[in-house]
Amino acid sequence: MKWFTDLSTRSKLFVSFGVMIIFFAVVVAASYSSLMEVRMLQKKMYEEEFMNMADLKDVRFYQDRIRLISMTMLAVKDKQRLESLRDSGEEVTKRDDELMSGLLDRGKASKNSAALKEFDELRKLFRATRDKQVMPLIFAGKTEEARKVISGIQAERNDKMNVIIDKLVTVSEEAARAAVAESVQAIKNFVSVLFIIGLAVFVLSFILVRYLSGIIAGPLKEVSALAEKIADGDLSVAIPVSERRDEVGTLIRTFTKMAGNMRQVNGEIHESVSTLASSTSEILSATTQVATGMAETATSVSETTATVEEVKQTVQLSAGKARVVSEGAQNAVLVARQGNDAVARTVDGISHIRELMEAVAGNIMNLSGQTQAVGEIITSVSDLTQQSNLLAVNAAVEASKAGEHGKGFTVVAQEIRSLADQSKQATEQVRSILGDIQKATASAVLAAEQVSRAVDEGVKQAGEAGESIRRLSENVAEAAQSVTQIAVSSQQQFAGMDQIAMAMENIKLAAQQNVSATRETEKAAHDLNELGQKLKEIVARYKV
Amino acid sequence: MSDGKIEWNTIRERLEAISAALEKGQSPGDKERILKARAEVLAREPEDTKEKDSLEIVEFLLANEYYGFESRYIREVYPIKDYTSLPGTPSFVLGLINVRGQIMSVINIKKFFDMPDKGISDLNKVIIIHDDMMEFGILADEILGVRTVMKASLRPAPTTFSGVLAEYILGVRDGHTIILDAQKLLRDKKVVVCEEVI
Repeated sequence: MKWFTDLSTRSKLFVSFGVMIIFFAVVVAASYSSLMEVRMLQKKMYEEEFMNMADLKDVRFYQDRIRLISMTMLAVKDKQRLESLRDSGEEVTKRDDELMSGLLDRGKASKNSAALKEFDELRKLFRATRDKQVMPLIFAGKTEEARKVISGIQAERNDKMNVIIDKLVTVSEEAARAAVAESVQAIKNFVSVLFIIGLAVFVLSFILVRYLSGIIAGPLKEVSALAEKIADGDLSVAIPVSERRDEVGTLIRTFTKMAGNMRQVNGEIHESVSTLASSTSEILSATTQVATGMAETATSVSETTATVEEVKQTVQLSAGKARVVSEGAQNAVLVARQGNDAVARTVDGISHIRELMEAVAGNIMNLSGQTQAVGEIITSVSDLTQQSNLLAVNAAVEASKAGEHGKGFTVVAQEIRSLADQSKQATEQVRSILGDIQKATASAVLAAEQVSRAVDEGVKQAGEAGESIRRLSENVAEAAQSVTQIAVSSQQQFAGMDQIAMAMENIKLAAQQNVSATRETEKAAHDLNELGQKLKEIVARYKV
Repeated sequence: MSDGKIEWNTIRERLEAISAALEKGQSPGDKERILKARAEVLAREPEDTKEKDSLEIVEFLLANEYYGFESRYIREVYPIKDYTSLPGTPSFVLGLINVRGQIMSVINIKKFFDMPDKGISDLNKVIIIHDDMMEFGILADEILGVRTVMKASLRPAPTTFSGVLAEYILGVRDGHTIILDAQKLLRDKKVVVCEEVI
């Protein structure tokens, strides 16, 4: 039945009422068919029995009429009258024929057909006799003869016919009675069938209504109960998840979503309220701090006012000092000028020293060159001693070759050799002394160079000192100017201090206003805090 | 100088004394020393100069060691000024020098004796040795002089010498001067170079 529950409520109602209408149509159809059956029965009864009976009675009536007319004609002598009677007799006979033919038609299949045929035979005979015997006799005026015939054979036939008709009528009456009984039975059957169908429809409709209400109203009732709980503040309700696709299912899902959203919103509100509470307490503490700050400000303002008064006096003092400093600065400018001159003289002296020093360095350089020349001479002397030495050796060799005669020459050669040795030693001493001189010269040149550098440095420093003194004098001049400006400024400061005192008054006023405003702020923060508490209570009413 | 001022007067006096000494030509101390040295030389006892018992040698330096040749094999000593090297000769042949118009071959005896060689300098001398058959120069680091040696004071070469040098030692004087056999060198076939350059 899932497809049914998934249908929309409109479709459900549509389907349910459709089923009811079908039931109703079945009932109507059954009633109609039963009524039609009864009607058919009655029609049949009417046609078969009552019509026949009436016709039979009519036929008998017409027969009697014809006989009456015949009897009447017997008493009438007027020809015209006879003819009119005969015509009416003809007319009645005609009607009788029509009825008879209908009767014969309808009774063909019934058990009365034999009796009817017999009756018809008798009637035909009667008519034939009337037309062929009675009528001509009457018109001929033979009334007696005619009467004989009429009351004779014709009467017999009439009686016979009456018997047959009575019999037929009785039969018809019985048949009609039976038909009526049948009809009553049929109605009874119809009523019982209708009752059964009606009962079935009622039961089915009841089941359908119960089912429909269970399917639609049941979940709605649950949802409404949950809604009532939510209305009472219980958001913790668990709603069964529905797979249904109809409006009820949608309603349940929407409801679940709504409850979830409400829970979330509630949680958020709860958090916000907490934040609000902490914020308000912070605001409260801040306002308290501000209030204390205000009080401090008030004290500070009064202190400042006192300080301003002191500053005023100080400013007067500083103006006096500034005048004194200005005079001092003028003196300093003079001194700086003198210092500048002294520096210039110093520079000149140092330059002279440098010139002298350069001369000394040149002399030393010359000396160095001369020692170089001496060194060269020494080298050549050394060479000579070497050669003398060799000569001495060669002389000794030659002397030894000369044998005994060369002995004295050997001594001379040895003497030459010893002289050569001595000159060698002397040149070596001179060489070492020259080395010392060279070293001393180098160090003297180095010293001269250092002196020259020192002189340069001295010139530079003297220049810098001069520059410094010049700048100092400039600065002092500027300072003098500044001091004058300071004196003027001090006057202005004095005026400014008065304004500051006034401003301090204003600040005091503003501080008082601030204090009252802070109080109001404190009260507002308090109210906010209370509001937060209220909100907290409201949120707490919801059970999450 | 200690108080930072230059004592110009002292300096001037010293300079004057020095210039006076220079004018005299000799410092007084030097004169005394020279006289003393001469006295010492004259005071030396005359050596026993019997010809048969003594040898006259020329002493010279080779690789900071003392060597000597008998002076009767020495023609002369000569300072080497420049020389011409001879290609295609053994490494101990230094080359040729010009001795007053005479072409003379020179042997680097340090290479000949496998001694450490410090290279040739301006101060190198050539000792020209000769006998009646041969004459060539020998490169010496420095000439020390002529000495008279008693034959009795000569000692044979110590056994620590070995190699080529040991064959040419005549004797050792006073423990440091090695007297070489000049005659053996002059007669030696190894000194004669006879090669053809192909």
